Amino acid sequence: MSKFKKDTSKSVPGVNTSSLPDIVFMLLFFFMVATTSKENDPTVKYTQPKGNFTTDLTPYKQRSEVDFLYLGEPRNPARKADFRMGFALSLDNVVQATPDGLYTTNAVSRWKRDKFEDKRSRVKVGIEGVVTCVKADENAPVALIFDIRKELQRIDALTIAYAVRDQSNI
Amino acid sequence: MAKREVPEINAGSMADIAFLLLIFFLVTTTMDKDQAYIRTIPKLLENPPPPPPIQKRDVLEIQANQQNRLMVRGQIIEPDDISEKVKEFYLSNRRVNDLKSDFPLYSDVTISFMEAEIDRVTKEVEDLEAQAATDMATYKRSMLTEMEKKLKALKLYKKSPMREISSQANIRIKTQQLTSYSLFTKIQSEIQEALYDLRNEESMELFGISYGVLKKRAETNLEDKESADRVELLKILFPDRIIEVTPG
Repeated sequence: MSKFKKDTSKSVPGVNTSSLPDIVFMLLFFFMVATTSKENDPTVKYTQPKGNFTTDLTPYKQRSEVDFLYLGEPRNPARKADFRMGFALSLDNVVQATPDGLYTTNAVSRWKRDKFEDKRSRVKVGIEGVVTCVKADENAPVALIFDIRKELQRIDALTIAYAVRDQSNI
Repeated sequence: MAKREVPEINAGSMADIAFLLLIFFLVTTTMDKDQAYIRTIPKLLENPPPPPPIQKRDVLEIQANQQNRLMVRGQIIEPDDISEKVKEFYLSNRRVNDLKSDFPLYSDVTISFMEAEIDRVTKEVEDLEAQAATDMATYKRSMLTEMEKKLKALKLYKKSPMREISSQANIRIKTQQLTSYSLFTKIQSEIQEALYDLRNEESMELFGISYGVLKKRAETNLEDKESADRVELLKILFPDRIIEVTPG
């Protein structure tokens, strides 16, 4: 009776997804540009203290003129007693470590020297100019920081950096 | 022969591939930058030259104990007030020397004076090297490079004479073994804040650019000698001589 015939055979047209790869690639490139690669996963737990007016280490990283060391509590609480004041170091494995990859402060000078020998030809500065960045837990006692300092002084690695999380920039 | 039609390539899985790459990058990278306070450790000398006599007025002593309480020049203060103390330390005698005050004195430096000094020390170094006193010679040589930097800065400063803070003036951080790292960095942060403010004010006055911008330019572009020289001048006007005393 009706004049308009219902078209029962018509189906919903498929969504065109041909531009989806473009969108995803755009996202991918954004992340590639906006982020920096992780150095390594430290084997210690640490929470950085906050600070202002810091120096950004990115240019040093790009020239590979910086080494990172991590000072914090061992992930395994049973190992705490093995380290002075309960804080252990996490260095990347270039010298002999304990089985769980932890170090005492005595290993710092060996570690730093080995690292420098590795990249001597790639960097433009001497060992005294290569920054050693200490990323320490906020509760770590400064006595350990000064132990690290003394080890670095012994091998003339004379630039140290105390890492914090910058409040003003995030 | 009829032309055969080329079949279309199925690009449906392209998105999956791109997603896989995207997720890989998300997992292996971090957003946060590494930020830190860069400090220099004094060189270990076998036979260090005798330390020059230190005047009380030249030292800003910041002490922190194991209960994480602070004292600046014998006065208990809150961590946030350190930067004010540091600014006071630098600025008190900058315009006019007040001999009665307890703050470091300033001296006037001119280009001709600096040139004469450089000649004098160069001769000294030559004499020392003739005597094979190596440690002393290296020490004097480092003094010489400092002086040459200063001469360069003076030429850039244009105003003559330049008011320069006593070379003995220093900030001394005295901690105890159990002082926490967070308080230690808080002290560093406050000192940095004060120095930034002082240098920034001077930079705006001299060049009309903020110190932060100058520093960034000098750091990211090593070819930019002009910015580097300007940063050097500001550092000579407000030097960061920070001594971190090893806790006993």
